[in-house]
Amino acid sequence: MEQAALEQRTVPRENSQRALDILLRFQSVFGLIIILVLAAILSPVRDGNNVFLEPRNLLNIIRFASENGIIAIGVTLVILTGGIDLSVGAVLALCAVGAAAFMTRYDLGTLPTVLLVLALGGFVGIVNGLVTTRFNIQSFITTLAMLGVARGVASLWSGGYAVPLAFGDGEGLAPARFKAIFGGQVNLLGLEIPAPVFYFLGVGLIASFLLRRTGFGRHVYAVGGNETAARLSGVNVDRVKVIVFAISGLLAGLAALLHAALVNQGSHIDGNGYELNAIAAVVIGGTSLAGGVGTVVGSMIGALTLSILDNILGLRNVQSEYQAILKGVIIVLAVVIQRQRR
Amino acid sequence: MTVRQWLLIGPLVLLLAISSAPAASGQSTPTGDAAAGTCIPEGGIPEQDSYLIGMSQANEGEPWRQAMNDQISSAAAAHPELEVVFADAAQNNAKQVADVENFLQQGIDLLIISPNEAAPLTDVVAKVCAEGVPVIVLDRKVEGDQFTMWIGADNEVIGQRAGEYAAAFCAEQALDPCNIIEIRGLEGSTPAKERGDGIRAGIAANPSATIIAEQNADWLREKAIPVSQAMFQANPDVDVVYTHNDPMTEAAIISAQNAGLNLDEILFIGIDALPTPDGGIRSVIDGRIDATYVYPTGGAEAIDYAVQILEQGETPPAEVVLETEEVVDENAQELFDKFTGGGAEATPAA
Repeated sequence: MEQAALEQRTVPRENSQRALDILLRFQSVFGLIIILVLAAILSPVRDGNNVFLEPRNLLNIIRFASENGIIAIGVTLVILTGGIDLSVGAVLALCAVGAAAFMTRYDLGTLPTVLLVLALGGFVGIVNGLVTTRFNIQSFITTLAMLGVARGVASLWSGGYAVPLAFGDGEGLAPARFKAIFGGQVNLLGLEIPAPVFYFLGVGLIASFLLRRTGFGRHVYAVGGNETAARLSGVNVDRVKVIVFAISGLLAGLAALLHAALVNQGSHIDGNGYELNAIAAVVIGGTSLAGGVGTVVGSMIGALTLSILDNILGLRNVQSEYQAILKGVIIVLAVVIQRQRR
Repeated sequence: MTVRQWLLIGPLVLLLAISSAPAASGQSTPTGDAAAGTCIPEGGIPEQDSYLIGMSQANEGEPWRQAMNDQISSAAAAHPELEVVFADAAQNNAKQVADVENFLQQGIDLLIISPNEAAPLTDVVAKVCAEGVPVIVLDRKVEGDQFTMWIGADNEVIGQRAGEYAAAFCAEQALDPCNIIEIRGLEGSTPAKERGDGIRAGIAANPSATIIAEQNADWLREKAIPVSQAMFQANPDVDVVYTHNDPMTEAAIISAQNAGLNLDEILFIGIDALPTPDGGIRSVIDGRIDATYVYPTGGAEAIDYAVQILEQGETPPAEVVLETEEVVDENAQELFDKFTGGGAEATPAA
């Protein structure tokens, strides 16, 4: 009886929610288009070619958005439930050290390494979730603590130095297949598409589907929108929270595989500040830090926007101080515009 | 970056600093029993069976500083009478002040400190000195003269050596113009400024050598990859890549490879030349970096001077400037063996 009444009430709210979603997504797409056009106009021109618009440059932009984008997707899920995950950068470092150590020190192949690293990331996420829900601690605190723990373990594991990744056959060398799978290129329609791009898009598709088409997705929004109401209507709030943290950790693990393949090493100091980059992407993408409102696609666009900024400012040889200032202004601008639209 | 560390350590350190403040004010007046500028008590340091040395490190997260600690450990291992305790300030001035205070409580006989910044650490170092505990300052200085000695290297000289090497390469290859791109360390940091000034002085003699683009990548390999990728996209006609440290050189090599540039035609120069598995010397041996310059940590030298001060009663020179060494293909293996104590690792295939 109560159940039915609640459901009736949530139906119109879900519709307005959807309308808002579309509006917000439109907003971040709009921002992306503006940045793209500006970048193309401001791009240096060489031999009559617009450097920014060269296919290789555009692919680089998506490639360098991929790591942050994948992490941001996981963080989006956590933020949608009203939580936060500050540990993702440290988990990336831990998993990158793990990937390098598994292959070069313990001589494991590509598949066991990938599975172990993803499991490690997922495990850390589950711990984040369990500590948060069981002890009823704010996730800000839980994941802040985990940030320190993960980085400490990573440093002990690596011995204080980066674990180098050289690829080839033989002792102490990582399988070349790992580099090909996570750091290689795929020739598609005459374009050399960097592998990370596929992981980024793939994860985005799966996460979007999960959020929009499954009961779990509805529960995520419900928990973030009104936790008490969600609990009363029979949603297992704790389970939803543990799952989103697990996904966030797992995706940080996936990003770590791409990271290790990109930089040819696993380092305990890598990924410093990545949690803030991810949060920036999420915010630019229109997701509310209060929870309950936002999309995965928005965060992907947020990551792309940040990557385009980095790229065009680099192409123009702009001093790093101005880059930092400009990024700050754009993040605030994005949020202000969202407020106007609401 | 620092936000994370501040959040994590800031409150703890504040607590520590507050709780140790009364003790500090009670002891801050110089006792006058130490000769000015040497920190060695007038009657000399009494002979002991063992000596406790405190090593206060600014940030163990940086590989170069980790190497400094490791070199101190291994140099001290040859002296069984020395015990070294380490503290890591994790890039936090307040934490480093607290670390040094802790060392005093532990009754150290000598302090080695690599300060995070000069001004914030000056007072606490002076206090240690005033208590008759000798202080060896490594790398970054503190202000004034209230320490026993300073050991460090000259970044500008190192940058200049790199610049001269680049200029010679440009002349040898008859490149005119000879395009150099520079990937810089953290903007506003002293070593980044000095390494940048150094190369400009070094290439000045060859007018065809010009720096056509410069970008900051915070000393980080992961950051230098997208940064250098954009630089190569904007300037594909690159002859020399000069980076302020080796991890960023490695990043530039990865990017150049991704951009389809011919690695053999580009000269890659780095700085630091750490004898670690992830360091620059290894990279030269493996045929990636063309030349890199040792930025000595002074760790081993600090222990040598500590022994002189503590056990031989000598007053060391106030300042020791360490020489760099150019690491190229010809001497890389030899230097690696020298720094790691001989053939520690077999060379894996590149």
